[in-house]
Amino acid sequence: MTMSEAQLVDLVINWVRSNHRPGNSPNGNISPDTDLIATGMLDSFGFIDLIMFIESQSGCKIDLTNIDPSEFCIVKGLCRIFMGNRLNDLASIRTR
Amino acid sequence: MFKFLETPRHPPQQSEPLLRSTASQQRAARPGVATTTSRKNNSLIQGFWESAERFPCRDALVVDNTNLSYRELRDRAAAIAQTILDQERDAFPLAAVLASRSATAYASVLGILGAGKGYVPLNPKFPIERTRKMLIFSGCRVLVAGREVLGQLGRLLSEIDGSLTVILPDLTDAAELRAMLPKHRFVSSREMLHGEGLAFHTEVDSSAIAYLLFTSGTTGEPKGVPIHHSNVRPYIEYIANRYEVSERDRFSQQFDLTFDLSLHDMFVCWERGACLFCVPEKSLMLPAKFIRDCELTMWFSVPSVVALLSKMRLLEPRCFPSLRFSVFCGEPLAARHAQHWQEAAPNSIVENLYGPTETTIAISHYRWNPSSSPEECLNGIVPIGWVFPGQQFRIVNQQGSRSREAGELCLAGAQVTDGYWNNPEATRRQFVRFRETGETSWYRTGDLVKRGENGCLYYLGRIDQQVKIRGYRVELQEIEVLLRKASGAEQVVAVPWPVTDGSADGVVAFLCGASNLDDLYILKRCREALPDYMVPRNIYRLEEMPLNDNGKIDRKKLLKQLEGA
Repeated sequence: MTMSEAQLVDLVINWVRSNHRPGNSPNGNISPDTDLIATGMLDSFGFIDLIMFIESQSGCKIDLTNIDPSEFCIVKGLCRIFMGNRLNDLASIRTR
Repeated sequence: MFKFLETPRHPPQQSEPLLRSTASQQRAARPGVATTTSRKNNSLIQGFWESAERFPCRDALVVDNTNLSYRELRDRAAAIAQTILDQERDAFPLAAVLASRSATAYASVLGILGAGKGYVPLNPKFPIERTRKMLIFSGCRVLVAGREVLGQLGRLLSEIDGSLTVILPDLTDAAELRAMLPKHRFVSSREMLHGEGLAFHTEVDSSAIAYLLFTSGTTGEPKGVPIHHSNVRPYIEYIANRYEVSERDRFSQQFDLTFDLSLHDMFVCWERGACLFCVPEKSLMLPAKFIRDCELTMWFSVPSVVALLSKMRLLEPRCFPSLRFSVFCGEPLAARHAQHWQEAAPNSIVENLYGPTETTIAISHYRWNPSSSPEECLNGIVPIGWVFPGQQFRIVNQQGSRSREAGELCLAGAQVTDGYWNNPEATRRQFVRFRETGETSWYRTGDLVKRGENGCLYYLGRIDQQVKIRGYRVELQEIEVLLRKASGAEQVVAVPWPVTDGSADGVVAFLCGASNLDDLYILKRCREALPDYMVPRNIYRLEEMPLNDNGKIDRKKLLKQLEGA
């Protein structure tokens, strides 16, 4: 089924809750406005894992060539960028 | 055989202030005028001051979307330097800076050096407990703090005995801090001196410390490495010449100030009047756009950055046409990453640098040649190459005799410091003499290397439990000491994991025996005391630890278990 930006936000939040750096930020504290890097929830490698997870779920690659890093690290910014910068046509994004 | 050195002592030193009032020093009438005497060594900041004189209007620094000319940066540094000297009641050798990726951070480094002190960088991203330890171990009585750390000062300073002078270039009114922490002295920006009418000296006593950095220590406490001006000047001069740095160059500044590779960024750049571009925190992960937007000519980072950019398809051929030099250091450089970067930056010379903190930034280099280098690599890793001219190396076996085979790399020469900061035991262990080389002091790196037929050095691994995590040097024992305290477990092992192309991304821990504490609690304790890259990603509980034939914990078997998980 096709996924909206809001559904993608939920997908990202659920992934971060399962994969964030242990001992940092209680699970309940993540929201669409959370900065994943500034809060320490993810390190750079974890962040790349998240992007690869989104790509694997969607079957689409994201173009990061000209992204604004300040927006990119925030959950809803990441999702907005992903919806707008897919490299190949997004026929559908599979939900879990 | 090893012969242990006498313990070097680091008594409080008072080098001649680099920055003096004109009243006391009439012969240099204008700021920026360097004076020379033959009895002194050149200071680390000599190049900056000379560039400020030659290129006062050129940009020295771009940070937070702000351009600072050499004159502006020098003036900010002079204000900090004069304030430090004005506050000085008793002589002291070091002052600390707690700031990051801000104009104040760089001005503070220069200001401390300008006052004739060595600087001790502290990292706002580190846990406060660790920063406090570093501040106490260093013995600093003066701290310069930036805007970005004002919220940390209460917790940091409340448990420090004695009185610190805290200089706050970004805070106009320090009344609130004074009320909260009455035993410390605070100097707000309004109370700082302006640094006007000062003449700069660019020479220091040969024993003066330029900076003191802390590395991970096996005992569970950070270990201080003092680097003298006489150690670091040869590096700056050699590299600036080797890379033919000019005022037209545009340098990346990617490393935190607590990482000694930041010295290369700052002082090689300023040596020749070039401009330093501070990579914003959020661009550190994927700096491709930053490199292009700033049209950088000089890139310096750990190889992990290449891995991340490559993974995210951000290393397209010819995507970095402006780069003249691309330099990597801090961890093994995979051949495929060197090749990939070379294709992305075709106008750039790619170099792999190697060097422990004790030998000042880097002490050997290997220049990548796209045609011949792939065949010269060992196990897919780029060689560490040749030791810089004028520096010395020996490869020794376990008995300390010269080895023609693989062995521990020992280093000596002007770049090598003389011991650890107030740590005679560690100094005795790592700094040794050999009978054949008389009084020469050699630093035992703990790195296992071998020498090729053409003299090229190849890195093979470690002889101990030290690892590199994303370029940061980590003693696994330091993590294990803390884990043992936090968990109460009988046996504790930390291993680097996952490892790709010889570089570790993180650490995981194994616990065994009598620990009922929750993993999250244990990791929280770790996070309170260790920097992010040292905190285990996972904790695994075992019924019993695997042992090798010698009855020691079999770390290789633990890694195999992870591979199979």
